Amino acid sequence: MIELKNADPNFKWEIIKREGGEGLLKCFGCSDCAASCPVRYFDERYNPRKIIRLTLLGMKKEVLSSPFLWFCAHCHACTERCPQGIMVAEVINAIKNYAAEQDYCPEGYKMQLDLLNKLGRLYEIEDFDLRKREKLGLPPINKIISEVAKILEHTGIIERVHSKNAHANLKSETRNTNE
Amino acid sequence: MKRYALFLGCTVPVRAQHYELSARNVAKELNIEFVEMDDASCCGFPIKAVDAETSLLIAARNISIASTMNLNIVTLCNSCTAMLSDAQKQLKHNEFYKKFKELGFSYPHDVVVKHFVRVLYEEIGLDVLKKAVKKPLNMLKVISHYGCHYMRPSQLHEFDNPEVPHTLDELVTVTGAQSVEYVDKKMCCGGSVLGIDEALAVTMANHKLHTAKNSNVDALISICPFCTVMYEDNQRKAEDKFETQYGIPVLYYPQLLGLSLGLDKNAVGIRFNRVKASALLEKVGVA
Repeated sequence: MIELKNADPNFKWEIIKREGGEGLLKCFGCSDCAASCPVRYFDERYNPRKIIRLTLLGMKKEVLSSPFLWFCAHCHACTERCPQGIMVAEVINAIKNYAAEQDYCPEGYKMQLDLLNKLGRLYEIEDFDLRKREKLGLPPINKIISEVAKILEHTGIIERVHSKNAHANLKSETRNTNE
Repeated sequence: MKRYALFLGCTVPVRAQHYELSARNVAKELNIEFVEMDDASCCGFPIKAVDAETSLLIAARNISIASTMNLNIVTLCNSCTAMLSDAQKQLKHNEFYKKFKELGFSYPHDVVVKHFVRVLYEEIGLDVLKKAVKKPLNMLKVISHYGCHYMRPSQLHEFDNPEVPHTLDELVTVTGAQSVEYVDKKMCCGGSVLGIDEALAVTMANHKLHTAKNSNVDALISICPFCTVMYEDNQRKAEDKFETQYGIPVLYYPQLLGLSLGLDKNAVGIRFNRVKASALLEKVGVA
C-alpha cells in the first residue's frame, strides 16, 4: 500500500541533479530492467523498477531506508535492455549516493571509505606482501597513496556520510523498512 | 614494441599476484612493454555507490598519471576498466574537468583505457597470437566468463556484444582449448553484493559453477580478480550451501594463454590458484 500523502514531490528532482541520475524521468515503467536483472532472478526482494517508480512518486523514506536498494550489483544488464535508453544502474547508483548521505550508508562502504582515506587503497600492504612480490620478480608498490585523502577532503564525502543528525527527521518518520 | 601504463588497482597486486605475473610474462612474450604507475591508487569504483563524483575524481587522478607519461592505460580488472573509462569520458566535459583542475591535476594528453584482454584482441590480434602459440592446449575444455564491466555498459566500452559476448571465447580458442557455449553467459558473479548479502552473492556465483560442472570443463576462465574471488575463493561456500562438489580450477586468461605460449607453470603462477589445477596441468603435460 502506497500512502501518497507522505510523498515528497521534490525527491525525484534531488536524484536527477546527482551524477548518474539524469535519466530518471524517462522511465515509463515497462519492467525490462527487472526482467533482465540477475539479482532479481535469485532474490525478488530487489526490484529496480519498483525503486524507480517509488522515486518518481516521491516515496522518499521507503526508497532510502530499504536495505534492498543496496542489492544492485551495478552489472548494467538493465541498462542494455532499457527501451528508453536510461542508464538504469547509474540511476540506482544516484539513489544509493543520496541514501548514503541521509545516514543510510551500509557499514561496509563506510569502512572502505575510511581505508581509502588512510591508504588510498582497499588493502593494507604489509612487508610480507612486498617480500612476496619481490620473490616473484614483481616490482615494488607504494604502501600509501596519500593524494586520495586530498580528494576525499575536497568533496567532503566522509563528513557527509558520517554526519548522524543531517536528516534526523527523515529517519524518525521511517517505520517499515522492509518493503 | 607496444608500450602501456599498467594500472594494477587494489586487488591484483596483493591478492592475485598470479594474474599479474602471468599477464606480465605473456606481455613480454608478445613484445608488449608495461610501464609502472608508481603513484596510482584505488580506481575509485569501491566507493561509487557512496559518491559517484568522488570515485570519478579518484579515477581521473589515476588517468592523469598516465596522461603525464603520454601512455595509454592497460588494466587487469573489469571494474577498474569501467571506472577509469568513465572518468576518461567525463574529463571531456567542462564541468567535471573544472573540478579535476581545482584539485591541481593535469591532463596534457588524451588517454585510452583498455582491459589487457581487449588489448590482446584488438591491438595484438588473433593472427599474431595464433602464430605465437607453441603448445596448443587441444586437450582442454573450458568455460569463459567475461564479467560485467568488461563490455557493459556498452555506451561506455563500445566493444564486444553486451548480450552475447564473444571476444574471450575467440581468445581462448586461439590457445587450442575448447571454449564451450552455454546459457546465461553474461550472468554476474555476484561480487558487488558480497559485502551486502553473502548468501545472495554465493547463490549468484553458484549459477555459473553449476553450469561449468554440467559442461564437464577443466577450468573456468576469468579476466577479473573480483569474479575470481567469487568463483574460486567462494567455491567452497557454494559447495557447502548447495551440497555439491565442484573442484573447478579458475584460471586467469593470461595463465591459459601463457601455457599455450610455452611458458612454464611458475611463469604463470599456477601454484597460487586456490582450487588446485594439477589435473589440468597433467593433461597439458606441464609437470
